[in-house]
Parts: sequence; structure tokens; C-alpha cells
Amino acid sequence: MSLSLASSIAQSALASTSTQVSIVSRNIDGANDPNYSRKIANLTTSQTGSGELVSISRAADKALYEKLLFAQSGGASQQALLSGLDQMEQTIGDPASGQSPSALLANLVNALQTYSASPSDLTVAQSVITAASNLTNALNGATATVQGVRSQADADMSTSVQTINQLLAQFQTVNAAIVRGSQSGADITDSLDTRDSILSQLSQQMGITTTTAANGSVSIYTDSGVTLFQDTPRTVTFQATGTFTAGTTGNAVFVDGVPITGSSSPMPLQSGKLAGLSALRDQVAVTYQSQLDETARGLIDAFQETDQSATPTLPAAAGLFTYASVTTVPVGGLVAGLAGQIKINANVDPSQGGTVTRLRDGGISSPGNPAYGYNPSGAASFTGRIQQLIDGVSVTQSFAPTTGLNASASLTGFATASVSWLEAARRSVSDKSDYQNTLVSNASTALSNATGVNLDSEMSKMLDLEHAYQASSKLLSTVDNLYTALFQAVG
Amino acid sequence: MSLFGMMRTGVSGMTAQSNKLGTVSDNISNSDTTGYKRATTEFSSLIGNQVPSNYTSGGVGTNVRHGITDQGIIEGTTSTTDLAINGQGFFVVSNTDGTPYLTRAGSFVPDASGNLVNAAGFYLMGYDLASGATGVANGLTGLTKVNISQSQLQATPSTAGTFAANLPSGATAVPAGSRPSDNLAGSTYTAKSSLVTYDNLGNAVTLDVYFTNTGPGAWQASVFNHADAAAGGGFPYAGGALATQNLAFGPTGSLTGGSPLNLTIPGGQAFSLDLSNTTQLGTGYTPISANANGNAPSPLDHVDIGNDGTLSFVYQDGGRVPAFRIPLANVASPDNLTPLSGNVYAPSVGSGDVVVGTAGSGGLGALDSSSLEQSTVDLATELTAMIEAQRGYTANSKVFQTGADLMDVVVNLRSQ
Repeated sequence: MSLSLASSIAQSALASTSTQVSIVSRNIDGANDPNYSRKIANLTTSQTGSGELVSISRAADKALYEKLLFAQSGGASQQALLSGLDQMEQTIGDPASGQSPSALLANLVNALQTYSASPSDLTVAQSVITAASNLTNALNGATATVQGVRSQADADMSTSVQTINQLLAQFQTVNAAIVRGSQSGADITDSLDTRDSILSQLSQQMGITTTTAANGSVSIYTDSGVTLFQDTPRTVTFQATGTFTAGTTGNAVFVDGVPITGSSSPMPLQSGKLAGLSALRDQVAVTYQSQLDETARGLIDAFQETDQSATPTLPAAAGLFTYASVTTVPVGGLVAGLAGQIKINANVDPSQGGTVTRLRDGGISSPGNPAYGYNPSGAASFTGRIQQLIDGVSVTQSFAPTTGLNASASLTGFATASVSWLEAARRSVSDKSDYQNTLVSNASTALSNATGVNLDSEMSKMLDLEHAYQASSKLLSTVDNLYTALFQAVG
Repeated sequence: MSLFGMMRTGVSGMTAQSNKLGTVSDNISNSDTTGYKRATTEFSSLIGNQVPSNYTSGGVGTNVRHGITDQGIIEGTTSTTDLAINGQGFFVVSNTDGTPYLTRAGSFVPDASGNLVNAAGFYLMGYDLASGATGVANGLTGLTKVNISQSQLQATPSTAGTFAANLPSGATAVPAGSRPSDNLAGSTYTAKSSLVTYDNLGNAVTLDVYFTNTGPGAWQASVFNHADAAAGGGFPYAGGALATQNLAFGPTGSLTGGSPLNLTIPGGQAFSLDLSNTTQLGTGYTPISANANGNAPSPLDHVDIGNDGTLSFVYQDGGRVPAFRIPLANVASPDNLTPLSGNVYAPSVGSGDVVVGTAGSGGLGALDSSSLEQSTVDLATELTAMIEAQRGYTANSKVFQTGADLMDVVVNLRSQ
């Protein structure tokens, strides 16, 4: 049997070498694909002594891969926050250009001081109205921007949820193919690559953890432990909100019936784009809006008019600044959306038919009521009220603690602190985002080094295989020569 | 008489060598036949009636042997129903009449009705595990044709599962009256996961598993049917909890009581959920594993044959159901089996009775799937044997010719 054994060994050597060549060519083909992992041929010695190809496996490093997923989730959440903060920062603009509410408030105080020097000058009075109007416009615009950011974040969350559902549906198909293939011993390495690529995309949308079952099926959980996929995908639902105002609370994202965003979530999502958008929509933007609202309330409060009668009976009324169609002064803390409604009282604005001298004399709130008049004699050089207004801006007020700023501050101090808060938040997120991007880049390089294709080693392996193939075919031709010799002996 | 005797001896030698050439030519023609065992011709001397003064030539007799116990080379193939026996034993096969034979030729393929049939047209026999056939050791009763056509869908209800997770040790206890077990609209819980199981019809039943901290080291696990959840998913569930169980954890965070959690799947079987690997340690809620057996209706993907001869149906979802057991048969003296056409052997008086057993046990060989046993013929050996036989035949014919020449001399003595 030895001659036929030799030829059968040579034959199986040719077969296994050609399969190995095909694996090398697959590796070379996938060298530039970031999701491709190096394929490895597993050889064993068969009973007849020849090398036999038993299976194809792939280079994988679970620890590095999970690190990459973790870094990607962290990076995506910071990136989402950063882009929202960048938009909100436009409400401040370049500090030098004086576009921020804080700078415009300082302009108003300057205009008032000029007016107090020449209280009879109507042109100077008009410039106070203009400065005040710029301030209300800035507050209105900032509110629109902040709510626009929230609305955009809500829409992005909706897109993200759609993406997650699509990825989970794809994942089910690939996962089923892997379970089936691992049972039948088929080559599932490409499916494993595809599954890893889907997990990588999913990790950018939300933080995930995975577990692998004995049959090769992978279960996915959010980083807070809610089941996303186990045999079948769980439903991820989100009801988008069309328009956002300051008082609107966005809907939570539900996974498998559990809310994973929002303050009432028992298992809140920790990272990923969805977590970043949710933090932006429900926390950062809401806090900044409350700071704008409190600035507006502080303004109305500082410019209010009180009853000047010997025995005051009437309540304080909104003076230069008012809001909506309300004439009273808001009391008792935060009024959601006030910054979007604040405006110049028409009674003092010449462009709306008002009288600009009421700024000096008082009575803006109710022109017909002498109780709110500060200058009953109508003296053209009266500066008492103007000086009172200038001082009012610097008087310590109390602000709502939900703004995250010092609850007891002057109006100018509060407005400045608000600007600093936004800048500090943006810088902190920007730093974290840079750090996470570095982590992603490092993790992806480490993973690529561990599981990627090295063209040099593939080429040298191909040379080895070429030699092995030549040796096997030489063996075949030698066996053939031996048979020829035998037949000649018979013949 | 001795001249005639010498000529007859030459003839018997030529007959013997032509027998040998016959086996050599059979061997060469079957050098690529799967499961073929080479035949050899053994010579035995025939001695005439001997007296010291006189030699009566005898001759040579032949006896054809089959090397049935020789192991052939096992070569890999790409079909899972190609079978080879590595070691002793035979497949039990039957012809279309149902007569059983033994064979080592395992190149089986399914015929039109799904029965496995080899190249010579013999059907592979095995025990149908679905009908519970077990067979007897000393006979071939209970064997049926192995059929791998499975047009039905297969669904398996879930009966057991495991769920392991870490429950956060620092969780805030939920007061009684608002736990998931109370099934109220405002029920709160510490963590939730879900698990897919299958009912008797193969419908997926998603179990919602809630873990609720009830105090230091004490937890409550409540399982609900996800389909009963209120709109949007959550409490209250129509029909209440499927099961509620208290879990207790020891000082090192390992589970000390409460596993397994038993419940009945709606429309399905009793289900035992093993929670024994659940821990309560100082980190967040982390699911570690969640699995349940059972599968949704799934068509047949392929068959798989194990080393012990168990043929399993593998379904497209990866489920595996044993369907047939392919036994191996053996006899006391395999070399004395009677060879018949189609690489099959029939038991003979000399071989002893057929004994049936499981592959890989009791001295029987292992069954290799996706392999075939090659012919035991080696061309070089056969060709050299052919040269030997050719020379032997020529020598015997020379003996005969010498005898004939001498007879010629004797016959011509008178005419000279």
C-alpha cells in the first residue's frame, strides 16, 4: 500500500496547501478593511499521516475589542454634548464683540449712566431704550437657540433609535448565521467580522456590553444592563417631540419596556451618542435656559416700579422690562421661558407710541396712575429714578438654585457667571472629547496590531506555501515514475 | 505412470497460477473500490501415494483468502454521509428485498425517498431513535433503513434556562407595596432583563425578569410574560407574575437561597431558571449570561453523524436532534465471511454469528463521518505477484512440455 499511500498523502497535501493559499489571498484582499480580522488555517495530522485542514479561525482579541467599544461609546457621548454646547455658545459669541447678555447688560448700565448726566436729553434717553431692546432681543434669541438645540437633540435621538433598531435587525440575521455555522462547522469567520462591525456601530449609538452563549450566540445589553438582544432583538422605542419650549420635557427612550434616559429611569444609559444627546436635551440645555430665565426675571425685578404714595398700597409693577402681557413682577423664583418673552414696555418705547421721559419720571407700568410716578413735579433734571435703576442692577438678589450658579448674586454678577458656566462646561466637554478620541485611536491601533493583516508576513507565508505545493507535486511525479518502472518490468 | 503424473502436476500448477492471476486481476481492477478487501491465493501441496522406491508426483491445490480484517486507508471526503470504520466492525446493510448483509463500503447518499444507499445499491440500516427502537445484541431485529429526509419543521419547547447577573449591593431597597410582585402601575424595581423562551408550538415567549432589592442582602425576582405588559411595556401586567421568588445572598455576595426559579411558560412546559451564578457585589447591575433551551420552528439544515454512530438532524437555528443510531456488526471470524458482489459479506458457517454493538465500544471501531475506507489493494504488490504468477505458469508449462516431449520419445521408440 505504500505507493498508493504516498500518492494519497501528496494529493491531500496539495488540497490543504491550495486551501491555505486561498486563505492567504483572502487576508491580502482584506488588508485595507478596518473590520477584517486575520484568518488562520488550522491544520492537523490525519490518520494516514498527511496534513489535513480542519477549520478556519480568525485572530481576535476580546479584551481589546471591548476596550474599543467602550472608548467609542464614551467618545460618541462627549461628541454629541460638544456639538450642542458649541451651538449654545453662539448665544455668547466672541466676548470682545459684546453679544452676550452679560455684555449687553453692561451696555445698558453705561447708557443709563450717560442719561443720568443729562436727564433732559431725549436722544440719550432713546439710546437707553435701544440698549435695553438689544438686551431683550439677545435673551429672546438665546432662548430660541437653546430650544433649537434641544429640538435638534430630540430629532437626533429619534434618528439614533432608528439606527439602533436597524442594527439590531441586521445583528439578528448575522447572529443566526453564526449559530447555524458553528453547529455545522462551516466557515463563519466573515460573519464574525460582520457581527463585530455591527457591534462597533451600535457602540457609537449607545454604551453596550455583550455576553456569548455556548452555541456562539451573542446577547447584547446596554451598559446599564437592559436587554437589547438575546435570541431576538428587543424593541427600542422613542416618541419624538415636535417643538420645544422652555417648559417642555422630552420623552424617554425605552428599551424592552425600561426607560433608559431621563431623570425617572431606574437603569439610565451611561454612554454613547444617545446618552450624550439625552444629557444635552434634559440637563445642560435646561440648566442654561433656567440661567437665561433667571437673568430675565432679575432684569424685570431690578427695573420694577413700586408705589410711591406716602402709604404704599399697590403692588410692585413691571417697569422698563415686562413680559408677555403681564404687568406684575414675577415672584417666587424661576419662570420657565421668561427669557423668551421678555420685552420693552411699550409705554416707554417711542417706536411703539410710548413716552421716553417715563424712564426718568417713572409711571411706565401704568401711565395714568400717579402712584407709580417718581418725579411728580416733572423736573427735567431729576436723576433720582435713573440712579435707582443703576443701583438696582448691582443689588444682591436671590436666584433659583436649579441654575447651578451662586443663588445669591447681583444681576450683573449672575449674568457674568452664566457666561462663565457655559464656557467652562464647553471646555470640560471638549477636553473629555479629545481624551476619548485619543482612547479610541489607541484602542483601534492596538486592535489592528493584534488582529489585522500584516502584508509582509502574508507574502512570506505565500512563498512557504508555494514551496510546499511544489514539493507535493514533485512527490506525485516521483510516484508516477516508480509506477512506470514497475510497468516496464511487467511489460 | 510417473510421466503422466508429472504432466498432471504441471497442469495443476498451471491451474493454481491461473487462479492466482485471477485474484491478482480482481485486485487490480478493484484497486479503487471503496471498502474492497484484497483477495489472495494460498497454495497447498498435494502429495501422491509415497513408497520409498517410487515417487508419485502430486500437485498443488489453491485456497482463495480475503483479507477482510485488513484496515484500508481512510481518506477524507466532503459529504457527511460518507462513512468509514476505523477499526473492526461492519455496517449492516440490506438489499431491496430486505436481506441483511455486512459491508465496509460506506459511500452512502440519500435516494429519492431519503434512504441512505451506497454505490452498490445497499441500504444502510440503523435504529430509529424517534420510535424508541433499541435492538438486541445478537441479532438484526429492530433495524430499519436510515432515512434522512425531514420535511417537517421542528420546534422544541423550553424547559430549562440559566440566568446569571451581578446585582448591585448598594441598591436602594424598594418598600413593600410598590414592588413588581404587587403589579401596580407605579411598581418600581432595581433592574430588569428579559429572556426568550419557546412554548409548545415554538412561539417565542419573552420573559421579563425583574430584580428588586428588598433589604440588605435580600432581593426579590419576579418573572412576567412580556406579552401581558401594559401599553408601552411595563406595569401592570395582565394576569400578574408567572413566578416571584425571594433571593438571599451571603456575606461574600454569593447566592445562598432562591435558585432555581420554577414557573410554567404560558402555553408551554414547566421551566426551571437556574440563578445559582447570580451574585450581589459592589458594582452596577451586570448581566453575565442569559440562555434558555428550546427553539422556534426551523427547517432541517443538514445531518451530522458522530463517532458513536448517532445520526443527528441539525436545524437551521442550530438545534440538534438525534434521529438514528447506526450500529456496527461483527462476527467471530471476519476473514471467513462469504464475499458477495457489491462489497458485501454474508455470514457463513465458518465466520460465526453476527453480533451488533455501538461503534467505538466493545472492540468495535469508531465511525468516521466525511471519510471513506479505500481499497486495501496495493498496485505494486499486485504487479509483482502477477510477474511471479506469470513466471510460475511458464515454469509449470515447461514441466508439462517436458513430460509431453518425453512421452513423444517413448511413443516413437517403436518406429525407430
